[in-house]
Amino acid sequence: MKKEKIKNRIISICIFLLVCVWMIPVYYMVVSTFKTGAEVATSPLALPSHFSFDAYMDSFVKMQYPKALFNTAFISVMTVLINVTVSTFAAYTLARRDNRINRFIYMFFIVGMMVPVQMGLSSLYKIMSGLKLVDNLFSVVLINAAASTISSIFLIKSFIKSAIPVELEEAAKVDGCSVFGVFFRIVLPLLKPVLATVTIIVMLGTWNDYLNPSLFLQSRQNNVILQELYRNVGQFSTDWASMFPMLVLGILPLTIVYVLLQKFIISGVTQGSIKG
Amino acid sequence: MNFLKKSLKKYKETIQFQSMVIPALVLYCIFVALPIITTFYFSITNYNKFHIIDYIIVGLKNYGQIFKIEMLKTALVNSGKYAIFMTLFQSLIAIPLAVFLNKKIRFSNLYRVLFFLPAMFSPLVMGYLWQVMLSPGNIGIVNQFLMKFGFEPVQFLNSQNGLNSVIFSQVWQWVGWAVVIYLANLQTIPEDMIEAAKIDGASDTKIFFHLILPLLYPGATVVLVSSLVGGLKVYDIIQAMTGGGPGYATETIISSMIKIGFNEGNYALSAAYGVIFFIIVMVFTLILMYLLRAWERKVS
Repeated sequence: MKKEKIKNRIISICIFLLVCVWMIPVYYMVVSTFKTGAEVATSPLALPSHFSFDAYMDSFVKMQYPKALFNTAFISVMTVLINVTVSTFAAYTLARRDNRINRFIYMFFIVGMMVPVQMGLSSLYKIMSGLKLVDNLFSVVLINAAASTISSIFLIKSFIKSAIPVELEEAAKVDGCSVFGVFFRIVLPLLKPVLATVTIIVMLGTWNDYLNPSLFLQSRQNNVILQELYRNVGQFSTDWASMFPMLVLGILPLTIVYVLLQKFIISGVTQGSIKG
Repeated sequence: MNFLKKSLKKYKETIQFQSMVIPALVLYCIFVALPIITTFYFSITNYNKFHIIDYIIVGLKNYGQIFKIEMLKTALVNSGKYAIFMTLFQSLIAIPLAVFLNKKIRFSNLYRVLFFLPAMFSPLVMGYLWQVMLSPGNIGIVNQFLMKFGFEPVQFLNSQNGLNSVIFSQVWQWVGWAVVIYLANLQTIPEDMIEAAKIDGASDTKIFFHLILPLLYPGATVVLVSSLVGGLKVYDIIQAMTGGGPGYATETIISSMIKIGFNEGNYALSAAYGVIFFIIVMVFTLILMYLLRAWERKVS
């Protein structure tokens, strides 16, 4: 027993050291935002000699941050709303109406898991310009909402099948509820856990999506945070110390969300991937 | 009369049910299925910026052309290498880490939260960060450390080391994600089973290889499949760290697909390349599934 304790102590210390080393890049990024270029080069890991938020204000303006943040948030929220709405509707029918047509439709969605959707980017661009959606925030919203239906329908359908008793719905039906009535009054309130999981997964994926905005949102007023970052970091590559505040501003919104909701996010990501 | 009413009600119910599938189906058809299906068609035409409307079917010419372009061949190899090594190292680090974090050590939950933190960030941002940290001379913090301990500075982002540096940075970023999944898997293994093995006198290494590792099969399926397929789709991190360069040394499938499709306007060639991409993903997934099935059979 004593040997066990010593062993655990050693493991604790090793893991503590590993976590410290692992966090060096994040620490370096944050601490460098307060330093001058010379300071970053000479004493990279030391605490800054004085704290000043001037560099942040500078980056905030250069990145047109409020606009970029609004675009990113708008795209993410709309994507989640559209995706969760259509996926929940579809998953309910696919879970409760087990006939040949619905089995085929379900397979049609699931096959998408095996296919890399990015293979069709050129065709997607043609479709988007046909729909006059290029350089419109909704192009990215619709692409992400559509691509996420695959995993969302899978997750919600398996949740309905395993966690919601059919008897409940049948009882409501006998009482005179219509299909929509049963869905909204009985099923939807019980779906909260899985809808939280789906929301987290879709939100994270859309917020960090750089590929689609970079192809479909050209004009600057429609750019998301990551595009502003790409533009500014590329441009000011000579004054590279001014890059750090931009990087921090790039990840700040999600970091705040993570600090507040880390428990839900970690469990959401695990739930989503273990069942998906 | 009663019968008629009943069947009318059933009919109405069916319509209501089926109408609920339609929005998702329409969205999926237009923005997922249609682009993929038309890609197969465009890949055998001469559709490009000079033939936007008047394109004709030219057969498999585009496919032959792909293997004559060095950049496209390099990109295929790079994406494959990236996916395999990133997946491998990620799990090699994450599995032991998860096993240790699963023991009753203090702050275990905090460590989990910290390890997962980089996985929240966009690979684009982390790419810029690593680009600075790995930059040559006395700017990059990694080279500063190497020089402090008497080593020669290394050109981390040249054509020889560029891809390895990208892999390294991504292993760093995504290990925490794998740890979280392996931990969730480990928590389903009953503790008395491990206790019983200990009482029987099994050593820790024996318990790990004969008891724990086989039971990690479900978590490993998730981590390996999504890392491998996700690895083949690598794009953001390359844009930030190397931009595909120097030359086209670190170009990947998606980045070169965008180059020939969007920048050069050769849509048909990019479509053919997309089909090759599809085939590679299929082959990789099938091989991995086969290996995982062998693992599963060993468990049961």
